[in-house]
Amino acid sequence: MSYKIPMGPYHPGLEEPYKLEMICEGETVQDAKLHIGFNFRGIERLAETRNYIQVIALMERVCGICSNIHTLTLCQAMEQLTGLEPPPRAKYIRVAMAELERLHSHVLWAGIASKLMGFKTMFMTCFALREKVMDVLQAISGNRVNYAMNRIGGVNRDIEDPQALVPMVDELEREMMRTIIPIFTTSATARSRCAGIGILTHEKAVSCGVVGPTARASGVAQDLRRAAPYAAYAEMEFETPVEQAGDVRARLFVRALEIMESCRILRQALSKMPPGEIDAGEAKLVFTSGTATSRVEAPRGEVMYSVSWKENSRNPSRVHVRTPTYANMPAIRWMVRGARLADTPLIQASIDPCYSCTDR
Amino acid sequence: MNLSAVNPPAIEPSRASAETHAAGTPEKPQTAEPWTQRGGVYWMDCAKVTVRETARAMKDVGARFVTITAYQLPGNEGFRLEYHWDLDGRLLGFPFQLIGNSIESIFDICEAADWIEREVHEGFAIEFTGREYEPLLLREGEKPGVNLREEMAR
Repeated sequence: MSYKIPMGPYHPGLEEPYKLEMICEGETVQDAKLHIGFNFRGIERLAETRNYIQVIALMERVCGICSNIHTLTLCQAMEQLTGLEPPPRAKYIRVAMAELERLHSHVLWAGIASKLMGFKTMFMTCFALREKVMDVLQAISGNRVNYAMNRIGGVNRDIEDPQALVPMVDELEREMMRTIIPIFTTSATARSRCAGIGILTHEKAVSCGVVGPTARASGVAQDLRRAAPYAAYAEMEFETPVEQAGDVRARLFVRALEIMESCRILRQALSKMPPGEIDAGEAKLVFTSGTATSRVEAPRGEVMYSVSWKENSRNPSRVHVRTPTYANMPAIRWMVRGARLADTPLIQASIDPCYSCTDR
Repeated sequence: MNLSAVNPPAIEPSRASAETHAAGTPEKPQTAEPWTQRGGVYWMDCAKVTVRETARAMKDVGARFVTITAYQLPGNEGFRLEYHWDLDGRLLGFPFQLIGNSIESIFDICEAADWIEREVHEGFAIEFTGREYEPLLLREGEKPGVNLREEMAR
């Protein structure tokens, strides 16, 4: 006999509010429905009431983890409408911030995944390391969460001595190599909890249109930093890790390898940062009528902003945001089918869901 | 309708990726006529094609569905929906002007469109015909259109 198990919207197994309604036979999940919108904020509507300065601060609040990515994508779209091109140094600073944010996001996720695996010492180790990443972000921006770095045509703050940050990146990388990556890739605990569960096949990943590490763990080799480079990514050398298994372990592997690639990109961005201005220096911005679209590879996958403007207006007439979790979350239904009920908190966490982004 | 106009056939995935990486900006799809680049998107004039035909053509060439952006046009002009697809890093756009408040659903062709069709329905009270939808962002008692439709959101 089948029965329904509701998980959420407020549940110890979930970090944020959404609802997974599962139909089970015994301990096995047969099907699931997802419900979102419990914290829907109507930010797209609100954006239409904000001017071009205020809308950046507003969109930085779409997400608490990848706040910098949202302002970067929005500013890139608004730069198309104003015709402003950020100077090379600003593009390098944008890359450095984006990769630090990816490190922060992936390490935070590793901590939460560890907790859900019942591996609490690892959770503490990850969060201690996350503090170090946040220290670097704070050293650059003055802020630990919403960094307020991006502006139309550049960035708000310079990295005065980029080379001074390289030892901090080295230390981060050493710590990753010494503890987090070996434990995640070789420990029996991690393997027993992650291998073979929550499988998203390649075909299903394509059909659901999933993005980011969730797609790359199912053999879909897409990464906007390579396919459609923005900021200074065309000048960076890096690999895009791809796994084929499509299970929780593959998603864990992809993120672990991406941590190493982020350190590699960061070192290049800091070492090769060109001298010069950090913004285009336009005091008065003139927007042309029309729509501009920008996409960026956030830690969880592709973020897209479509921004519309009417000439001589101070406010956008429409801002549409497509966040990565919005693309990834429907795939949870296919991941939990056939899984043990006890594995579902870890499976849903394995896409690194952001409910804040989803309920924007 | 001319499907070859929808389908950008000359893009070879591996070559395209290498070129875009090297050049830093996406190259224009090699079907010169129907595509115009504007605002970071390769747009196609969709006056003679249906949304379902474009969805089938995109699926056939292995494009990834990205999203639908809805716009309410001024006065009584209705709505415009822009369908975005990714083909090897190029963002392709298909704009459709709605006749009335409805358009055919592509959910049965592209399951990735499920949530955004439901969101656009709830945000603008636009009907996607040929499918059923459950509430996504709205809570009990809220009417479609409450979030973004001009006359209701005010």
